[in-house]
Amino acid sequence: MIQFSNLAVGFNGKVHLSNLNGVIEEGKLIALMGINGAGKSCLLKTLTGLNPAISGDININSQAFNEISALEMAKAIAVVLTDKIHVDFLKVEELISLGRSPHTNFWGDLEKTDNQVLGDIVDLLKIDSIYDRFFSDLSDGQKQKVLLARALVQNPKFLFLDEPTTFLDIPSKIELMKILKIISRDKKVGVLFSTHDFELVKNIVDSIWLLDSEGCLHKKSPDEMIQSGLLTTNFNI
Amino acid sequence: MKTKPILALSGIFILTALLAVFLFFYGDIGFTSSDKLVLWQLRFPKIVVALLAGGLLATAGLLLQVFFQNPLAGPDLLGINAGASLGVAIAIMGASYLPAQLGLISLPLMAMIGALAVFFLLAFLVQKNFSRISLIILGLLIASFTASFVSVLVNMSPSLQVKNFLMWSMGSFQGVPLEEVPMFFTLAIFGIILLAFLPKKLNQFIIGENYAKSMGVNVSSFKNILILVCSFLVAVVTAFCGPVGFIGIIAPHMARTLIKRSDIRWVMPAVFLIGSSLALFTEVVLIFAGNYSLATNSILGLIGAPVIAVYLYKERRTL
Repeated sequence: MIQFSNLAVGFNGKVHLSNLNGVIEEGKLIALMGINGAGKSCLLKTLTGLNPAISGDININSQAFNEISALEMAKAIAVVLTDKIHVDFLKVEELISLGRSPHTNFWGDLEKTDNQVLGDIVDLLKIDSIYDRFFSDLSDGQKQKVLLARALVQNPKFLFLDEPTTFLDIPSKIELMKILKIISRDKKVGVLFSTHDFELVKNIVDSIWLLDSEGCLHKKSPDEMIQSGLLTTNFNI
Repeated sequence: MKTKPILALSGIFILTALLAVFLFFYGDIGFTSSDKLVLWQLRFPKIVVALLAGGLLATAGLLLQVFFQNPLAGPDLLGINAGASLGVAIAIMGASYLPAQLGLISLPLMAMIGALAVFFLLAFLVQKNFSRISLIILGLLIASFTASFVSVLVNMSPSLQVKNFLMWSMGSFQGVPLEEVPMFFTLAIFGIILLAFLPKKLNQFIIGENYAKSMGVNVSSFKNILILVCSFLVAVVTAFCGPVGFIGIIAPHMARTLIKRSDIRWVMPAVFLIGSSLALFTEVVLIFAGNYSLATNSILGLIGAPVIAVYLYKERRTL
């Protein structure tokens, strides 16, 4: 599990949120909510190890983040970010295969086991029809699935997604939620994703983490969240 | 239809080999010369230098484009070329102030010092999270600073030294004296060995720094390595062949268009060979335009500028 206590996060040494505590267990599906500017991305990037924590403790399976090599980290944690990928002639196959790179040799050659993992994930996400196309030619929904596939072939214990549903149409949103549920429940991956869409996630996630405008992190199940009235005060819903 | 990158790469290889063989057997007086001295002491070194210099410049351009995630980046861009030029300007026009025992080696040595000075500045700034755009602007500043410095030197120097410098600054693959070819060859091979360590990490880096980091790449040290390797490649070529333009920018585009992949393990050898082909091609043009004493850089400019313009037009929506 990933555990953090007294955590302060921010950019360039400036504290954005402080005194955060929480646990992400393997096999749990968590939605991170909060209005724009509440610091969702900032918290998410710190929990993935992409940004260093400003202060406080954060560890994975009781090993502190700053004591683990980048490569060990890559084998435990995978991400789907909002960063745009502009690469000419980038094949879907190439992009997804990159997810195996923490496990491959000096040249990045794919072994039998690597290809097996790739095949499994391609089947799970039903993307074999676009496997040979260029990434830049895909729709937003297809791109999101490919990025998810790249993260999953990394074989992570924990998966973090930054606003994965933002540019998707409603069927794609629902499909993505179902996939995330399968990944967390069946593959025992701890999944945390940020979102604005409570209606979409309320019947699927195990718990909701809500960052309020004061910078306080509330952790409740969807039902408790409705009863607490926090959603009304923070989102007017 | 599936396009096989191996086919495209083989095609590029054959083209390079054909150009090299042609240059070996064809000269100012047609195919007739069979004089061993001309073949091995004049043409062979020229071909080796063009092959390696073109390839290394092109690959340096590829590294810069990945580093800046900017398809218009080229070796001239960071000011490394300019730094090397300043070093050479001092070596040629300030020769009387340098220790005389340096002799032949002073030119490549000073080019290296100039390039490395710029590179250390860049490495320091990258460490301090200097942004990519600022780095490019800094490169332009360095270029205009060195140009001004050189023009001061030109004004103060006797005309023979100015002529020597201007000859060097036009860029040429023929100007490397026979006794310096082994040194150039050794440095170039060392550069190629350095390049062999990069493909996997370049592939991870290509989709963005955050993703690279999430896949286990130590991004800040890898960026330093990229700058180091790139400066080395540009310094070696510039010292021996002068500031050769355009190859570094256009070869990566041509390679990607032909290979139709982004995997660096395919793209890098293709870029290298296309750089070699471009360099060899300028030599072929120089033979046919023998009466007009063209400069290598003018030929490359005539090819390169339109290629970049077409690319800009085709990619106007994404740039």
